[in-house]
Amino acid sequence: MIDSPAAPSPALEARGLHKRYGAVHALRGIDLSVRRGEMFALLGPNGAGKTTLFSILATLLRPSEGEARVLGFDTVRERVQVRQRIGIVFQEPALEGKLSVRDNLYLMGLFYGLSSRAAKARSIELLRMLGLEEVAGREAQKLSGGQKRRVELARALVATPELLFLDEATLGLDVDARRQFWAEVRRYVGAGGSVFLTTHYMDEAEPADRIALIDHGRIIALGSPQELKARVGGGVLLLATDDDAQAAAWLREHGHHPEVSERGVLLVEPEPATLLPVLLAGLPVRTRRAEVHEPSLEDVFLKLTGRALEGGPAKPAPRAAGGRP
Amino acid sequence: MRGLFAVVMLDLKRLWVDRVRLVSSLIQPLLYLFVLGSGLGASSTLGGKGYLHYIYPGVLGLSLLFSSVFAAMLIVFDRQIGFLKAVLVAPVSRLAIALGKILSGALQALVPATVLLVLLPLLGLDLSPAALVELVGAMLLAAITFSALGVATAARFRSTTVFPIISNAVLLPMFFLSGALYPLDRAPTWLRLLAHVDPVAYAVDLMRGAVLGRTVYPPLLSIAVLTGFIVVLTWLATRVFAAGEDT
Repeated sequence: MIDSPAAPSPALEARGLHKRYGAVHALRGIDLSVRRGEMFALLGPNGAGKTTLFSILATLLRPSEGEARVLGFDTVRERVQVRQRIGIVFQEPALEGKLSVRDNLYLMGLFYGLSSRAAKARSIELLRMLGLEEVAGREAQKLSGGQKRRVELARALVATPELLFLDEATLGLDVDARRQFWAEVRRYVGAGGSVFLTTHYMDEAEPADRIALIDHGRIIALGSPQELKARVGGGVLLLATDDDAQAAAWLREHGHHPEVSERGVLLVEPEPATLLPVLLAGLPVRTRRAEVHEPSLEDVFLKLTGRALEGGPAKPAPRAAGGRP
Repeated sequence: MRGLFAVVMLDLKRLWVDRVRLVSSLIQPLLYLFVLGSGLGASSTLGGKGYLHYIYPGVLGLSLLFSSVFAAMLIVFDRQIGFLKAVLVAPVSRLAIALGKILSGALQALVPATVLLVLLPLLGLDLSPAALVELVGAMLLAAITFSALGVATAARFRSTTVFPIISNAVLLPMFFLSGALYPLDRAPTWLRLLAHVDPVAYAVDLMRGAVLGRTVYPPLLSIAVLTGFIVVLTWLATRVFAAGEDT
């Protein structure tokens, strides 16, 4: 493709990406485009192909077919140009535990072509920016999980990237640490940066401008969170009964299309509130709990695939008022 | 150039903070020298000091070989924990990564070797300044060769379970075939032939030439062979790093 000089190239663009590992077909034709200044989330269950796609876009893997361009540069032929302009936070730790936080950042600066002096200055700047000054001299392995992740973010930002890649970046963090991490990411986006993130937590994808749902190596839906939820149409009715299978069978007999998930029997209906009393009266099993809500990304995924996202919601439950902010 | 510097700096800083590894690399050569020297020396017809002088270059070779290959094996650890990825996505040429790793491994191996060098007078070996320069040059060449061997090998592995296999199936045979502990020119033909393809043999012979003034191979041949090994192994390592995770 040719980019006209007037319109800057998109932050990221993939066309017909396939990846095969022997007999395993991990990616089956991925097309997507991320605008500059956009926060884009790739949401899907484990094993859907998220990390494979991520690795191709981040120049770590070659696609078996198709091509990808990051900031206008081909991820295979122009790897170095891509690498100079992106920052990556990996799922696995990429810090040397025995070195201090400061040294970790300093060395990464050297790797990104900064002079020794510039790398030192940039580390100090980032430590201040991310509120990590107090732990600057501490061994990376002695930090808390949340602090480590923020240092990883600082590491990814060392070379002032135009596009930030985050692969399941807040896996295993508690709610506060996660909130703090995403606040920093939003600050980066606010300053004009672009973000491409993968997650299987729907609430991490929620603040993204656009979300791509991926399953079995294919993008099954793409749009803003609102657009995706609108696909479900109407509202969601969730019934927890004594026997969900029997309830589902009964609902099917009466012309509904239930999905059984861990949470109960799920129905997507144009008028869920009107239908609820009718169902409660008719169901042959006792209903322990009934819920009507706006569709969530979880519901979108369930509706499109018939399966729940693994991991479920990232937050246990909304905190009661009066809890810690 | 900056990339190469970054790779070397990272590894040396890591060695510096890893006190256990640092201290053991200082003690290890002493063990090699005294255990091998007194144990084998006592039962050798060459006898006492003479044998100690004879195996001194062999012990240097042993120390350089194991230290540099094990320094390189840390690449496999880095790969397992995911740290290597962070290095591989940096905009550093793959040649710089390979050369940086080889150089840092060689430098790490030269730490214990320097301890051995300092012990020279204690062993009653009086080397002329020219011989000393020759010896140091040979040690550098040996360290880089062994480190290149380690890096080209380690870059391919995904799991640390191969370490003992490498050690027993590759390093020890290479060392025993090299003539580090016995004179190659008196060895049986099959062994001499095998030694021809063993870089350790050339490296030890070169170092022995500096210490004792006699060699099995012409020194220029040894230098050429070791340089050849370095070039080929560096190329192999660069290729593996260039392939990323697709290997």
